[in-house]
Amino acid sequence: MATLPIPGTALVLDGAGKRYGDVEAVAPLSLTVERGDAVAVLGPSGAGKSTLLMLIAGEIQPSSGRVAVEGRDLATIAPGRELARLVGMIHQQFDLVPNLSALQNVLAGRLGEWGFLKSLVSLASPRDRGLGIGALERVGIDGHAQLRASRLSGGEQQRVAIARLLVQDPRVVLADEPVASLDPARAEQVLGILLHVTRDSGKTLVASMHSVALARKYFRRLIGLRNGSLQFDRPGDEVSEEMLRDLYSLEGLRREA
Amino acid sequence: MRPSARTTLDNRKVLTLILAGAFLWGLLQVEWSRGVFHAGGLAAFGDLLSSIGRPEVSDGIVGLAFREAWRTVAYAVSGLTIALFIGFPIGVIGSGILTGNRWLKALNVGWARFVLAFFRSIHELVWAWLFVATFGLSPMAAVLAIGIPYGGILGRVYAELLQDVPEAPLKALRSAGASEWRVFWHGRLPMASPDILSYTFYRLECGIRAAAVMGFVGLGGLGHQIQLALQDLAYERIWTFMAFLVVLIVLVDIWSSMVRRRVTA
Repeated sequence: MATLPIPGTALVLDGAGKRYGDVEAVAPLSLTVERGDAVAVLGPSGAGKSTLLMLIAGEIQPSSGRVAVEGRDLATIAPGRELARLVGMIHQQFDLVPNLSALQNVLAGRLGEWGFLKSLVSLASPRDRGLGIGALERVGIDGHAQLRASRLSGGEQQRVAIARLLVQDPRVVLADEPVASLDPARAEQVLGILLHVTRDSGKTLVASMHSVALARKYFRRLIGLRNGSLQFDRPGDEVSEEMLRDLYSLEGLRREA
Repeated sequence: MRPSARTTLDNRKVLTLILAGAFLWGLLQVEWSRGVFHAGGLAAFGDLLSSIGRPEVSDGIVGLAFREAWRTVAYAVSGLTIALFIGFPIGVIGSGILTGNRWLKALNVGWARFVLAFFRSIHELVWAWLFVATFGLSPMAAVLAIGIPYGGILGRVYAELLQDVPEAPLKALRSAGASEWRVFWHGRLPMASPDILSYTFYRLECGIRAAAVMGFVGLGGLGHQIQLALQDLAYERIWTFMAFLVVLIVLVDIWSSMVRRRVTA
């Protein structure tokens, strides 16, 4: 069943920025994202895309301003279960435990919710198995549930990571170049699944994207980041070729951090 | 500024020279002219070698070899079990992966590493002498003599293996809300387990050798029989016991690779 997003704001950045010494990784910026929206962050390497995602994930604290998810200031939430219910992140690759099964990896999304004993028992005999299989079905690889993660292809591994996020069930899903290390056909397939399952469950998606073409095709809203500052923030069809050329121009680009 | 590549290279050359010098000096300390072998030594060695192809296989000796091999294995396995109970928990503490607070971490890592270093800095034969003095010639002495230093070795290696797993999957578990304890059971341990298993099996192999040597302090086992046979100049019998020792090591090796295949496949 498709759950329609409850109208409202999922994410607010209010003058939020991050500075490392002299380098302004992300200059203070303000933006809001509505519930259920899908936003792609574009920009050259070193533009601050990953830093921006880490700010929204609550992995790092802003040096100015604030970040709020579902109305809650992330600075007031310690890492752990509560944060995991608000935001979850998918990385480029290599973040599954290679010698556990796909199902075990998916169920790791429940670790924040489980008691300690339950988490230990689950190593021998997976708990909440139905939930995990259900998530694997939604990303289309429930046939591989018992296979070790190391045996899966790159695209399948990313699908397991998506399933793990479904089981974790955060309000906002962040994806740091989720398909950059996949071949074009797989990239498109995995991205399609990611957008489909987040929209289906009424989640908000913010993804940094390497490929402009894929970002244009799948995301309603594009944000351009260059040298740590916001270049544009508009619906995909309003982003012109010229704006993209300016965004990626090597001239005046700061060195990669 | 980081140290230039040039200085490190020069340092390395100096170190190589010192080590090479120490090696040559060691060779010069042997008095080659006076002969390395004692009178009759070469003849005894010849006898020993010539009997290699005909080990004694009388019923009595083979039965004795089976009993002593069993005793050796029992010492090794019990010793390694104790080593696991020492090495795993202290190794986990010594790796510092479960403690968040900086000072508490330094304290925990400090005492755990010290205990492990103390246990393993004393050789198992020395431990055996100490325990024979305490318990007399009892199996307990042999088992503890293996268990304690091996616990120190396992703990140290486990700590390093647990620290050296890739960070990305651990980060993913943390961001899913898992506490460090859960990250340990669902991330670190599964990722380190093939190496942990394989090292533990290697140590079991070493444990069998060590258990055999326990015979030389009078604790029985294959080593004791080898010693007795040597005193009787019964070279053929020595090779019977040696053969049993080799078979034991090979069996552990086969078992180890079978288990490893299951974990890594």
